[in-house]
Amino acid sequence: MENKTLGISNVFTAGLWRENPILRLLLGMCPTLAVTTAVKPALTMGLSVIFVLLCSNIVVSLMRKLLKPHLRILMFTLAIATFVTIADLFLKAFQPEMSTVLGPYIPLIIVNCIIICRAEACASKNGLFVSIIDAIGMGIGFTVVLCILGGIRELLATGRIFDIPVMWQSFVPLAAMRMPVGAFITLGLILGLVNLITTKKS
Amino acid sequence: MDKIYVLLMAFISIVIVNNLVFTKFLGICPYLGVSGRIDMAFGMGMAVTFVVTLAGTLTWLIDHFVLMPYGLEVTRYICYILVIAGAVQLVEMYLRKFFPLLYESFGIFLPLITTNCAILGLCLFINLWGIDNFIETVVLSFGAGIGFTLAICIMAGIRESLKIADVPDSLKGAPITLITAGLLTLAFMGFAGMIK
Amino acid sequence: MLKAIIEYIEKSWLLVVSAFIFGLLIAVTNAAWQPKITQNKIAKLDSLMNALIADAEFELILSDVPVELGRGKTAKSNIYKATANDGSCAGFCFGAEGSGFADKIELVIAVDSEFKTIKGYSVLSSNETPGFGDRIVEDYFRNQFIGAPAAVLNLTKKGDETKIDDQIIAISGATVSSTAVVDIFNNYLEQIRAKLIAEGKLADGK
Repeated sequence: MENKTLGISNVFTAGLWRENPILRLLLGMCPTLAVTTAVKPALTMGLSVIFVLLCSNIVVSLMRKLLKPHLRILMFTLAIATFVTIADLFLKAFQPEMSTVLGPYIPLIIVNCIIICRAEACASKNGLFVSIIDAIGMGIGFTVVLCILGGIRELLATGRIFDIPVMWQSFVPLAAMRMPVGAFITLGLILGLVNLITTKKS
Repeated sequence: MDKIYVLLMAFISIVIVNNLVFTKFLGICPYLGVSGRIDMAFGMGMAVTFVVTLAGTLTWLIDHFVLMPYGLEVTRYICYILVIAGAVQLVEMYLRKFFPLLYESFGIFLPLITTNCAILGLCLFINLWGIDNFIETVVLSFGAGIGFTLAICIMAGIRESLKIADVPDSLKGAPITLITAGLLTLAFMGFAGMIK
Repeated sequence: MLKAIIEYIEKSWLLVVSAFIFGLLIAVTNAAWQPKITQNKIAKLDSLMNALIADAEFELILSDVPVELGRGKTAKSNIYKATANDGSCAGFCFGAEGSGFADKIELVIAVDSEFKTIKGYSVLSSNETPGFGDRIVEDYFRNQFIGAPAAVLNLTKKGDETKIDDQIIAISGATVSSTAVVDIFNNYLEQIRAKLIAEGKLADGK
């Protein structure tokens, strides 16, 4: 029994650090870079990905025994596209402002490698419970990194977090952080830092 | 004359000014993964150009002649991704049968392309920009592929030189590639404002 | 033959069934949320137009008006008529677009009831460079347009920003974006006025 709970917590924490989709597997780069101009869009994006990942993992896990090998990917894509459409409609209806900011990057979740990778690597092989835990772990790992990146960029580009000024008076905003160059360089440095930490540990 | 000018401007804008990789962050995954060698990068770029031209044109046609007249816009994303997956399959089968040589050179990239953001992204951007001209759609789709090839080849060239550069240990691999990409986007920003 | 059909069904029944279920799922969510989405769009446009012309009701009078953008490009614009509380015409609003520094700039422009002075503009969407071009949304630039004559506007680099006339002072460091906004005005004002006169919605004031 104890062994089993250990296994579950292992699955959960894998997504947070050991197999973090962005920091370790380098998956889902395009939303990571595009939507992290501020914390709020980053958080919205992260929550949408958690929703789609959770739903697709549940569906795939439920019908994993019925799947035919050559129609597998098609089924995954169909399920993912459906849930992405629902997420997109939800944002348009209840968060219209965020919907315009994120624009085409919400439908682009369909081709986000994280989701199809988890469906293939975890949900099509494991039971419902493990798949749900895996989806939540991976989703939170993705969202946290997105928010950190968004936070750094928003802080340096405007001196605010969630539109609340936090920097000192004479702080000069670095407009470049909101441009593509800020996204690439911040993520590059974060990845470098992660590499440094892991090599130090081992 | 005006018409040709418009098309030319659309082409230049999508290849250089609004390059999908540098300004919209699309297709970053292969950009980081494959672009280690120039010949591989070029093969990948050509495969993407081929599929994106086909997919962009097909999705535009479906959008304008099936989805919009019947008010089925809500299923747009599903249709797009199915068209792209289908186009990739078709291209793969066609190449294997009729151009085995070509298939050998870039066929291995084809299955990867379905999940390349640049392709779905371009279809979505064509819809977002409200392009309602068929020829412009074809030009934009083709240009997007060329732009992707350009970006991935420049990157591959830089990475070949990076191999002999003295990079700090923790920055080796993906981090330095991202930082280089950041500097490249700065360079490409110089082209902005060129198109009026 | 029959065997082949059975084999096909065996292989693909899951796909067909799930496609049907997913389709149903989307149809239901769409039916539930579509009214809210439409309402959101109208509310956003209304609030933008209300910021330009206060205390007025807006009514769509002409939709999909073709406007030449030069070089063979055309765009479509919707024209709204603003009716003040006492029933008189308070002005007109219309959507306008043009290419800016990086991407398309979309504006909502308001003019007075006689189409003689500009009542201002709001930015519907733009993707201009942060810190430079995106300052077209700021008041100090936008205020130069409020009260300016609805005729050909000129862009200059230096001058008095508070003086209201047909001289618009460019944002320093963002000449291209400033030019784009002025060009949009010059493109649209004349064509929209001509269209309104042609449709008999505006008495020819000249």
